[in-house]
Amino acid sequence: MSASGIEVQQLSSGYAGAKVIREVSLATAPGEILAVLGKNGMGKSTLLKAMMGLLPRMGGSVRFAGREATRLPPYAVARLGVGYVAQEKALFQDLTVEENLRLAVRRTDFEVALAEVERAFPFLLQRLKQRAGTLSGGEQKMLLMARSLAVGGKVLLIDEITEGLQPSVIDRLAGVIRDARARHGTTMLLVEQHLPFALAVADRWAVLDRGEIADTGAAGEPDAAARILRHLSV
Amino acid sequence: MIAQALDILTTAAILYAVATGLLLVFGVMKIINFAHGGLMTLGGYAALVTTQLGLNPWLAIPAAALFGAVAGMAIERFVVRPLYARPLDAILATWGLSIVIGQLITIAFGRGVQFAQAPLDGTLDVFGESYSAYRLALVPIALILGAGLTALLQGTRLGLETRAVIMNEDLARGLGINSGLVRFLTFTLGSALAAIAGTLITPLSSVDPGMGVPWLVNAFMLVLVSGASLVSLLVSCLVLGGAQVLVSTHLSPVLGGLTIAVLAAIILRIRPQGFARD
Amino acid sequence: MTESRRLGFILAAALLACAIVAAGPYLLDTYSVNVLTRSLLYAAVALTVDLLWGYLGILTFGQSVFFAIGAYAAGLVFTHLDFSNANAVLALGLGIGAALLTAAIVGWLAFWHGASALYASVITLVLPIVATQLLYSGGTFTGSSSGLSGFTSFDVSMEGWFWIAGFFLVAVTTGAFIFVKSDAGRLLVAVRENEQRCKYLGLDTSRLKIAVYLACAAIGAVAGYLYAGYSMVVAPELAGFVFGTELVIWTALGGRGTLLGPVFGALIVDYESAQLSGDYPFVWQLIIGIVFVLVIVAFPRGLLPMVVALPRRLLARARGPASPAGEMRLVRLDPTLTQGEAPGDGAALAVKDVAKHFGSLSVLSGIDFSARAGELVSLVGPNGAGKTTLMRCIADGSERSAGSIVVNGHDIGRRPPEACVALGVGRKFQMANVFETLTVAQCLQVARVRHARPSFWKRSRTLPLPEAALHVLATTGLDRQLGTPAHLLSHGMKQALELAMVLALEPRVLLLDEPTAGLTKTERMQIGGILTELTRRQGLCILLVEHDLDFVREISSRIIVLHQGRIVLDGSVEEVVNSELVRQVYAGSGHAGIAHSAQPIQTGAPA
Repeated sequence: MSASGIEVQQLSSGYAGAKVIREVSLATAPGEILAVLGKNGMGKSTLLKAMMGLLPRMGGSVRFAGREATRLPPYAVARLGVGYVAQEKALFQDLTVEENLRLAVRRTDFEVALAEVERAFPFLLQRLKQRAGTLSGGEQKMLLMARSLAVGGKVLLIDEITEGLQPSVIDRLAGVIRDARARHGTTMLLVEQHLPFALAVADRWAVLDRGEIADTGAAGEPDAAARILRHLSV
Repeated sequence: MIAQALDILTTAAILYAVATGLLLVFGVMKIINFAHGGLMTLGGYAALVTTQLGLNPWLAIPAAALFGAVAGMAIERFVVRPLYARPLDAILATWGLSIVIGQLITIAFGRGVQFAQAPLDGTLDVFGESYSAYRLALVPIALILGAGLTALLQGTRLGLETRAVIMNEDLARGLGINSGLVRFLTFTLGSALAAIAGTLITPLSSVDPGMGVPWLVNAFMLVLVSGASLVSLLVSCLVLGGAQVLVSTHLSPVLGGLTIAVLAAIILRIRPQGFARD
Repeated sequence: MTESRRLGFILAAALLACAIVAAGPYLLDTYSVNVLTRSLLYAAVALTVDLLWGYLGILTFGQSVFFAIGAYAAGLVFTHLDFSNANAVLALGLGIGAALLTAAIVGWLAFWHGASALYASVITLVLPIVATQLLYSGGTFTGSSSGLSGFTSFDVSMEGWFWIAGFFLVAVTTGAFIFVKSDAGRLLVAVRENEQRCKYLGLDTSRLKIAVYLACAAIGAVAGYLYAGYSMVVAPELAGFVFGTELVIWTALGGRGTLLGPVFGALIVDYESAQLSGDYPFVWQLIIGIVFVLVIVAFPRGLLPMVVALPRRLLARARGPASPAGEMRLVRLDPTLTQGEAPGDGAALAVKDVAKHFGSLSVLSGIDFSARAGELVSLVGPNGAGKTTLMRCIADGSERSAGSIVVNGHDIGRRPPEACVALGVGRKFQMANVFETLTVAQCLQVARVRHARPSFWKRSRTLPLPEAALHVLATTGLDRQLGTPAHLLSHGMKQALELAMVLALEPRVLLLDEPTAGLTKTERMQIGGILTELTRRQGLCILLVEHDLDFVREISSRIIVLHQGRIVLDGSVEEVVNSELVRQVYAGSGHAGIAHSAQPIQTGAPA
């Protein structure tokens, strides 16, 4: 197990009285992209929130890039260089695009961060003074992605960035994710429901079923889609 | 006519100065700080001590800010922090602190009514109407407080982080913002503002251990009607403060004392978000 | 312990308390008797604060006003009309009447449908300020700031007043104690714990709050009336905010939600204040302030529970483990009574052109479908498709932006949730939504209140339930855990309990929002079996939101697919399962063309 990826061991979490995920273990090499799939309500978002410390960790451990994060509050996890993109309400709707970016960028020079944003989504630079809430759904998702890139962190946790997006935007996001990994070696954990997107960008996949890992494999294997669909299909 | 307009303007300024600290704390922490009255009293006594030491009365403002800030730090750390999950209990605990502050001041300064020296005496001539210079001075002072606070919130990194915590605390924490620290600093600032307000009102009223309490309820109602916005607080102070002046002069001063509380309760019944935008 | 023995114990304790009151004047000096008379009356008002705050969850700063209303009624009548027996009765009637009227106005303001707890507290905070100012502005009529004094009052000795105040307090406390421990009194805790669930169990919580508030106002007014009679002085401070908060402080110190705690809190603190304030006036107030802050921060349950906890723990050790409170007996209600008329041919649920938008954002539009009795219709669709919103629109008439919803032939109009329940809607929430501190049996009792008016002084030992609810209890084994507090149940058991509670309402249309979320495989199988039974045998119309598509496929008679707020498909299980459209909606596989080989799909109804 590498010392600079994501290591989650036996992690349990949930809400008062109800464990949603039970003893989940996951690991990635540095620069690896892992897609976590599963139907709604199977604990995917809970997993990410528990890793960030936004939900109580009820046992197990979490390490990012070799640094212990199990007992850290969310802001301290973020300061380890872990970017988190929540599924809902992940932008400050009443703040401008620029303010949304500035809030996330604390170490690096803001100009450097903006250059990173420009490379991925140049249109955002024209919209810096616009309120984030006035962007379209797809543009908001791109701003979210841009914000994670602007931070320049080592690890990214992304919760269903493709939800409700049109195919062209999804393609664009996939390109940006692959580019970021190639240039910065960012380790990523993508929670996804969009199977083609997940298999296109990830190196490996895992299926979460009722709070437990039901299956894992490499994205390149020919039967990957079939194995995942067995867990997802109607 | 002119006198009445000036009354409305200066009353709104006083109310604005009194309520900003409470609004800041409510906006960030979703907690009603009932120690606000006690902290105002603390500021009033800062003015008294300044007078007794023979110092320039304007110095009372920084002195009050210092006392208020230190008291606020202690209150946040030991009383408010354990109560974030119990907002109604936080009202009670901070009310208890108001009692404690009042009694400590009584023990130190006695129960009697005292007077601090006003920084400005005399009257000014405004459109042929001679009007208290100090009351007039409160208008720019309140505007400076509001502008300073706006600049802090809109123009600095800390202000940006504070606004982020107000809007969505979980998201802010996920982005690396230490919301606990933001709360601590906000409460400290809110307490300092309360004490400054206490100093500002001393030339208009006497200094006594219970002086802050009558202001508390009005400030509280204004904050509830305003939500978390400094702009809507300005509107509330003008509208409700204006109504208070009109009722006091045309009906009766006693009913005037009720105007803000009753109007605010009715406004909230009809429109729970009050003067706030959404 | 039988019911009559339990009530017997309470009455015996009350008699003992009366004996202590009777002996009081013989054991205490005159000064103490005098002071304690006032403390006894204050304690009765503190008791009302506890009923409202400790039990019902309404933090009130304004109970002082009702005390003052009672006191001023006596003061005004005796001053301006002179004292006579007839006038004494008149004053009491005026006092109670004025208190009830005030409480009704305040209740209407503070407890309307949708008012927050903070708003209710704000109103109770404004009340004493208004009252004091009105008294100040009353001129010679109210005596303004100096109040009224020197009026003639009852010819009763100081000991007599002590006894009257003491017996009044014992009577009020005993009555309140019996009430809060009764089946009806438990509703107070249920409302405090989970007001939303109460509404969706068909309870008009606003009315309940106003009723309790009125009763508390009347008690306060009587205490105030006695106070004026004994002290022969009334002053505006009685109505004030400071006295109002003092009552809260005594309640918090003694222990909210214990009744006896606030009574003792008021007695001890007020008596000691009188004793010590002469010698150490400010230090005493300071100590009270510090202890109050400390109690709120560190011991929110107050001091009485701490004092009682120790001997109780020792007693429990001596007695051995407490016997489980499983004395409740389940009774099956006659099915012919619980099912009403046989399901007709018309639609049990008809949704016509329903839309919902938040500002410019449209969440639902053009939703149009109907469902018959005996149908199990599943609503599926990705996150944000509007499934839960649709459920909410059916269960609460004020939710939708346009369209109409007809349940059992009745248009729900703009009815609130509790009125929709009366039309036959039962809603189970997504997260298990029960009363955490109540036991399983008590939760179910609350659900039955709509059908059987609970006793104000007794606790029922039997729990009559319709067959469907009993079936859920028996299948899941909850019937063996009737005495277990709900917060100790596993997540799956809580889900089952909530389902049983909703079924206890005898609904015709059952709305289930992800009833199997977070359940184990076995638990899901059980719930699935119960649901198909309910539709087939009881003729319920069930609308189910579910993400677990295996589960949906197994139990549904029909599936409606929602996507971006619209119905994209409404058809049989086979039609939906084989639909390419649905596959696109779900797996997003309309894009990037990754072929997938779905498993051959089994269709048809489960065995």
